[in-house]
Amino acid sequence: MDSSLYQVWQSATGSPFLPVIAKESQFTVAFALLSLGLAFTGVFALNRSLVSVVALGVPASLAIAFGTVYMFCAVGVYV
Amino acid sequence: MKSLSVIAALLGLLAAGPCSAFSTVALPADFKPPPVFKNNMLVHVISVEKTYAKEQINVMLENVSDEPQSEYFLPFTAEQIARVGAVEAKDRKDDTIGPFGVDLVEYDALSDVQYYRITLPSPLKAGGQYPLAVSWVYLNSYRPLPASIGQDEQQFLVYDFSLFAPSAYTTLKQKTEVKFSTVTIPDYTTTFGPEGQEYPQKVGSKMLYGPFDEQPAGAFFPAQVRFEFTKPVIHVSTLERDIEVSHWGGNVAFEERYTLYHLGANLSTQFNRVKWAQSQFYNPASTALKELKFPLQIGSVDPYFTDAIGNVSTSRFRSSKREAMLELKPRYPVFGGWKYPFTIGWNTNAANVLRNTADGGHVLKIPFFEGPRQAEGVEYGEVNVRVLLPEGSENVKYYTSIPDSSIVEHSVDVHKTYLDTIGRTSVTIKAKNLGDEFRFRDLVITYETPLAGTLRKPVVVFASMLAVYAAAWAVGKVQVGFSSK
Repeated sequence: MDSSLYQVWQSATGSPFLPVIAKESQFTVAFALLSLGLAFTGVFALNRSLVSVVALGVPASLAIAFGTVYMFCAVGVYV
Repeated sequence: MKSLSVIAALLGLLAAGPCSAFSTVALPADFKPPPVFKNNMLVHVISVEKTYAKEQINVMLENVSDEPQSEYFLPFTAEQIARVGAVEAKDRKDDTIGPFGVDLVEYDALSDVQYYRITLPSPLKAGGQYPLAVSWVYLNSYRPLPASIGQDEQQFLVYDFSLFAPSAYTTLKQKTEVKFSTVTIPDYTTTFGPEGQEYPQKVGSKMLYGPFDEQPAGAFFPAQVRFEFTKPVIHVSTLERDIEVSHWGGNVAFEERYTLYHLGANLSTQFNRVKWAQSQFYNPASTALKELKFPLQIGSVDPYFTDAIGNVSTSRFRSSKREAMLELKPRYPVFGGWKYPFTIGWNTNAANVLRNTADGGHVLKIPFFEGPRQAEGVEYGEVNVRVLLPEGSENVKYYTSIPDSSIVEHSVDVHKTYLDTIGRTSVTIKAKNLGDEFRFRDLVITYETPLAGTLRKPVVVFASMLAVYAAAWAVGKVQVGFSSK
């Protein structure tokens, strides 16, 4: 009987997989990030320049990117 | 015993094609098992206690050839071979040995006799003996007699079998034991022993035939029992089970889609709703399926139960530290000949079933299939399990303790769903002809997910949003008005 994968499972006892953001906090984190992204987008809309694309667009994109992923998870679509 | 070992690898992001029936062995078209064994003291146990028939032979093998032998062949008729499943062979005296390798022999598709080959853990020396136990199940094994009954009548089933165990070798002495879930057995085959004694002997809910004298290879003695079975005969023709692993969400989501049939006696008259409602006050034995109980893994949450119409509200979920019991009542009582397709699903925290390995990978351990726990049993025609791993997962290896002989296909593919760009790595294993006693057999999968794969989703959204900002800036630079000069 090839039980090598069972041994991998047994040897990983004590190392359960834990997500970066716990399930209970995912909606809060996602909402905060998306709100932040929306706020940055609003400021960018008032001053659309190449500097703003970097100074506001990059943090807004980062916030929206992680916010989107966590909002998917928070509403039950575990991506 | 060699149990199913399914190991495949997915390197990079390339998907492997399906592999089929790896537990088969091709032999010449004129193959006949060599008469190298003799069965001593064979006990043939037939259990018709559940909705599927289970047979087991316990035998003391003797190698009567001059050479060591390790291949034992078990014959089935061509009609049986399509319905047989979960063939498992073990050492009868030592549970730690086995299960042994079991392969379906492919030789002459038109032959009326087909074989499974059982490979002993080590060759049996000439003249040596070995205690072997082989078990298997037959699906669609009964027919109701009468074929149609009233909705409050008792149901009787007929099972046809051979009093002599299937064997490709001479059997010196054998007994057959038939186990029932009832003592109401109105009809059964009777015969006489070598000294004129009448068989069977009835002991409670068991019938004992034999011992019988020496029988040649392929001996067959047609027999039949007709017994009361006022319970649903539940047959799941297809169970599609999806498991989605999410690293971002720390969740493993399960969904099972059942196509369920009741193979018992049909109703002889139209279904009477009033009579049914009245009978619920005194709850008599009924052939109707009115409840299914799913013992889920502890820690399961967010269950749902839907069918072709939509959500079915007649379900209850009992969750505590000791159990997670999902109790379903179908939208209507399911009588003989009726069908009820439905879907259930639930979530569990990834920490319950997923672990990090020392080398940076992950190992997932889940039941191959779960299904309802019913006293009358449930038989499964096809079980298709698909595990969706996180996007970008690679070096996938998997293993299941479901009998080799029931696995018909396995593959590693790619499946695209929400927020995916290249798609998630999926492991698909298809099994057939299983009984519910194989619920909670394990499926273990190891895989690696590189950081680039993990970050693929937010990076794609990030790039898309940044492109929107850049486009907004660029569009703002376009002069769309007429110049004043």
